[in-house]
Amino acid sequence: MQRKESSIVDWWGWLIKHLKTHVGLTVIIVAAILLQGISSVQYYYTRSLLADELESRAESELSIKAVVVKNLLNMSENSLSGHIWDLKRNIIYPDSSYSVMEWVLRSHPDLTGCWVAYVPEHFPDKGRLFEPIAWWDHGEIRNAEIASEGRDYTQNRYYKTVMATNTSMWTDVYHEDLMDMDLVTYIIPIHDSQEDIVAMFGLDMSANLLSDTLDYRHIYPSSYILLLTEKGQLIVGPRHKKDNKREETQQIIRMINDSTVEKSLSKSGRSHVFSIRNADGDEGLVFYATFKGEPKWQIAVVCYDKEVYAKLINMRRTIGFLTVLALLVLGLVITRFAKNDRKLQKAKMEQERIGSELRIATHIQKEMLPKTFPPYPERDDIDVYGIQIPAREVGGDLFDFFLRNEKLFFCIGDVSGKGVPSAMVMAVIHSLFRMASAHENNPARIMQTINETSCEGNDSNIFVTFFIGVLDLPTGYLRYCDAGHEAPLVLFNGQYSEVNVNPHLPIGIFNDVKYGVEEIQLQPDSTIFLYTDGLTEAKRASKQMFGLERTKEVLDKCARQQLTPQQILETISDEVHQFIGDAEQSDDLTMLAIRYTPRQFESTLMETLTIENDVHEVPRFSQFMKSVTGKLGLEQSLARRLRLAVEEAVVNVINYAYPTDTKGDVTIKVMSDGHTLHFHIIDSGVAFDPTLQETADTTLSIEERQVGGLGILLVRELMDSVNYERMDGKNVLTLIKYIK
Amino acid sequence: MNTTIEEIDGKYVATLHGEMDTAAALEAEEVLKPLYTSNGKDVIIDCSDLEYIASSGLRILLNILKGAKASGSKVMMRGVNDDIKNVFKLTGLFSIFDFE
Repeated sequence: MQRKESSIVDWWGWLIKHLKTHVGLTVIIVAAILLQGISSVQYYYTRSLLADELESRAESELSIKAVVVKNLLNMSENSLSGHIWDLKRNIIYPDSSYSVMEWVLRSHPDLTGCWVAYVPEHFPDKGRLFEPIAWWDHGEIRNAEIASEGRDYTQNRYYKTVMATNTSMWTDVYHEDLMDMDLVTYIIPIHDSQEDIVAMFGLDMSANLLSDTLDYRHIYPSSYILLLTEKGQLIVGPRHKKDNKREETQQIIRMINDSTVEKSLSKSGRSHVFSIRNADGDEGLVFYATFKGEPKWQIAVVCYDKEVYAKLINMRRTIGFLTVLALLVLGLVITRFAKNDRKLQKAKMEQERIGSELRIATHIQKEMLPKTFPPYPERDDIDVYGIQIPAREVGGDLFDFFLRNEKLFFCIGDVSGKGVPSAMVMAVIHSLFRMASAHENNPARIMQTINETSCEGNDSNIFVTFFIGVLDLPTGYLRYCDAGHEAPLVLFNGQYSEVNVNPHLPIGIFNDVKYGVEEIQLQPDSTIFLYTDGLTEAKRASKQMFGLERTKEVLDKCARQQLTPQQILETISDEVHQFIGDAEQSDDLTMLAIRYTPRQFESTLMETLTIENDVHEVPRFSQFMKSVTGKLGLEQSLARRLRLAVEEAVVNVINYAYPTDTKGDVTIKVMSDGHTLHFHIIDSGVAFDPTLQETADTTLSIEERQVGGLGILLVRELMDSVNYERMDGKNVLTLIKYIK
Repeated sequence: MNTTIEEIDGKYVATLHGEMDTAAALEAEEVLKPLYTSNGKDVIIDCSDLEYIASSGLRILLNILKGAKASGSKVMMRGVNDDIKNVFKLTGLFSIFDFE
């Protein structure tokens, strides 16, 4: 029992869960229940209306047919009683009866026959029994005397009844052999002057006549009328040919006569009603009523439900069909809706997911690019500012910069296309730039490396315009390489000028492009301005572009006002936004500005030593260093550290700058303004950048430790800045130490 | 620069004196070379009078240490001043050598 309850609960829970998820199904079920409810109410209401109508129609049928029958009977009764006087007047002439009968029949051709049955021995010369009879035979009246001892009418029960009651009456239906038809007869007793009954005057009416009368026009096609005597004997019924109909009639007669069958009084009280079910399974109602006055015949009408409610049943079937159709359509519509809704929901979720991923991607991209400005607050010789404003969530533009060995490495690039695909390439190019420039000072070689790597497996034909610059801060030498990117502009002395570039092919097209390096000397207080085409091609609603001329105008203004990199970029940004107005940003916009302001070096000390490339010259160098540090008044510990660092650098040049057994010079130049100490170690040997030399790994164990690489390690550790430049065919290594 | 080697109580004692720059290291190496193979004897390097050392000097000391380690003996640095200790630290050699 417990289990059953729980399983019902489970089932209910399951149903509720499913209905919640299948909104369409729920709506259809609810709609079906509502429609069925409405249709049922309508059905029963209409049915009750039809039942009321049936009752009133049936009763009106009953009363109409009763009136018709009564009229027929009255007519017969009247025609007979109207001739009683004629019969009595000639009662002494037996044969006068024939003419009276003929009159009766002639006045009513519908009637079948007429007769007079005299009491026995009334006419002695006619024998004991005398019964003259007249009847219609094919349009003519025939007559005869039919009484005989074999056919003794005095034994007839109606004769006896009338004799006994001395009142006129209608007989039950009986078969008249002479005419071979069913008849009902009206009998009137005829009295003599002593009021004794002398004869019976009778009029025969064919049951067919009644049948014809009743068969005329029925309330429903298969309805029929039954006429019964008071005792319940069938007078006329339907002229059914089928046996089962005859049986049905018999059944109804039995039911009318059977007091145990439940019958109800109609609402009007004028008839009784009971229900039947025939052999075919058809259900129906029988209304019946008794004639008022004599004879107390009963009349019944049979009506079948299938006809009474035929239209209702039809209507119900049609409505049912339409309901099912409507529900199907509703279901279809809802399913479609639900499907669309689910699709929309899914699409929305997908969009949200992509949206949130894009937000993360935007953040990652922002993190990737330099974001701390000013980037070198401790330095007064360089100021950099850059912005990247993607047209979409993520962009294909990039810029980057970093300091290594007193060199500012910077780049700007524009990946073809925009959005996520470009952003992915941008991220790759950014990493490649960082990796390629970690140990390489030559922008062309950096470009070459990036190009070769990015060409591998680049089937999507995405290319990148790229500009790489390496600015040597001590000297102001700018080396650069341009791969199809817009040439930078240099602002100097209130004016701007375009940097001449050799426009190489962009990155990512051919892996064997030879990139060349170019160089310019950057004047102190210059500003390099780099941009992507998102600036010059920024469009306003009228498709007009911002253009290079407008850019130059703004730059001209910036140059004259001696603005800082940040101010320049903000000014241009504002101008662009003002220019495009409400138009959507069509391309990523990226700008980078670098201001180079080397401090004027006012030497308070300048010493130079030139030695040969021989370690035995080291003591001379040592003396030189002691003299310099002595002049500067440096304390011994710092003096030793400086000497060590410079000695290592000088020995490095002695050992490696010139081919073996080749004599060459090494010049050591010392400059100081009292705050910083600059050492330039210059040789004219083969190009060699010691800053790219591998330093000793200090984390290794004694067994693994190599004896080399210690010198350059010490140089880096002991000096504040180490910078190599190849200038005018000479290697220039600059070591800087901040002494105050 | 003055460099000497003595054998005291079965240990080699190398005394470095003055400034060992790159040129001086060349001379010092000639003196100290025998210690590259210490034959299982411990080595004491006395730096009490050493004022300066360049990386070439460090290389000599590193070679002595490698030789000693190979024969299972020890190298002990004695009387190293702070400036030179700092050089050892910068080059990561401080943790490799034992200082008295």
